[in-house]
Amino acid sequence: MNNRFSKNILIVVSILCAFLIIISYMQSSLLDPVRHYAGYILTPIQSGISTFGNAVAGDIEENRHLHNVYKENEQLTERISVLTEENNRLRSETQELQRLRELYKLDQTYMQYPKVAARVIARDSQKWFRVFRLDKGLADGIQKDMNVICSGGLVGIVTEVGANYCTVRSIIDDESNVYSESQYSGDTCLVKGNITSYEQGTLDITNISKDAVFNDGDAVVTSSLSTKFLPGILIGYASDINIDSQHLTKSGKLIPVADFEKIKEVLIITTIKTDSGLVDTGVGEVGGITETEEAEDIPQGEKNTSDGELDIDISSEEEGT
Amino acid sequence: MRIGIIIKRIIIYFLLILAAFLMQTCVFPILGFLSAIPNLILIITFSYGYIYGTMTGMICGFFAGLLMDLFYPEAFGLFILFYSYLGFFSGLFSKQLKNDSLIFPLILCTVNELVYNGALLCYRFIAVGRMNIIYSIFKVIIPELFFTLIITIIAYRILLNTNRKLDKIDNIRGKNVA
Repeated sequence: MNNRFSKNILIVVSILCAFLIIISYMQSSLLDPVRHYAGYILTPIQSGISTFGNAVAGDIEENRHLHNVYKENEQLTERISVLTEENNRLRSETQELQRLRELYKLDQTYMQYPKVAARVIARDSQKWFRVFRLDKGLADGIQKDMNVICSGGLVGIVTEVGANYCTVRSIIDDESNVYSESQYSGDTCLVKGNITSYEQGTLDITNISKDAVFNDGDAVVTSSLSTKFLPGILIGYASDINIDSQHLTKSGKLIPVADFEKIKEVLIITTIKTDSGLVDTGVGEVGGITETEEAEDIPQGEKNTSDGELDIDISSEEEGT
Repeated sequence: MRIGIIIKRIIIYFLLILAAFLMQTCVFPILGFLSAIPNLILIITFSYGYIYGTMTGMICGFFAGLLMDLFYPEAFGLFILFYSYLGFFSGLFSKQLKNDSLIFPLILCTVNELVYNGALLCYRFIAVGRMNIIYSIFKVIIPELFFTLIITIIAYRILLNTNRKLDKIDNIRGKNVA
């Protein structure tokens, strides 16, 4: 009798679930409030546990590396003085580069996009979906379809936002397609996530036109053709470009810049691409943002000057000299 | 009196599955040396289903699926469906629970994992449209199956003994446990 009763309940649950699945296919935003309310409760807990776990893991690693740190510190002090000289030289070269870019009327690089730093608080525990959660949400000005980068490379796109969290689908997911182009020649291609290729540490590049100039080692950036991704974000470097069997297109592999296994802190670009162009949502800072709180003595980039340069000012710090 | 016990048990199941879910998504990914993360909420679902019966398995599966649905931006209700069915299916075998042997739970674990991942594979195929089945089986399903089996050996014993103690306490107090 117990079995029959629970069998009836199972049938009810199945019908309810089928109904919910169909609803969420038709109108996916209808059930978002449910996730948002759950997020109110879950996110602080997940955030707390992740902080604790990261702190413990961080402490253990710190103790292991402490005896190397002293030696490294001496080497770094020497290097800082060398870098200061190099930086002064690079600054004048950047000015020249800016003038040349304006001559060719190229857009400014993606370093100029405003960004918000966020931390990963929960990750996909299986390998199917490749999603992870960040600890910034609507209250911090994050909206759907914002791009997410890490260590200078594209990592994913925000698919859902709650009050204090957002969910990011990464580009190595099977469902992800990013319209991109070669930075060198501007020829377009499609970067797809593939679970098979990711095991070897690569993504797939497809749909390169047969006559395109696409060589191994070319940097691949997001293209302005993409509907959701901002142009000019570095994704990775091409490799193994070969012509397809039908001799109509070329395809190959892409080695991504970001290390997807070790993502802890990311930057969310707060400019969104809409039909009417790039919309600045008014949050975030432009220029070099320090991603961790411990890195206070690394020189920070100041806000852009009026002609769009990025100043890294080491000489103004008291410690290095 | 019985309603009180039932509500208390439902709350305990929910908290246990919540704790397992938080461990699965927050703690295990930090340990970088694991190549796959064991599916703790699946372990709890089929363990409770096997020990107590179909109703309990289904309730645990419902909560498990609910938490997974809230986390993933996929179709809502998908994971509830999967986990409820797996809990019910595990509960059908609860009459086999005669001794403390681990053989049947391990078999149940294998079957549950394969069915669950197979169903997810089908869903991915429908949603994405292309799938390298052989690769997925070897590189994704088998490591996770292996780790889940190892954790089952530990977790099932703990759950079984804990529940036996709690049942004994409830029985000594004179309340009839379902």
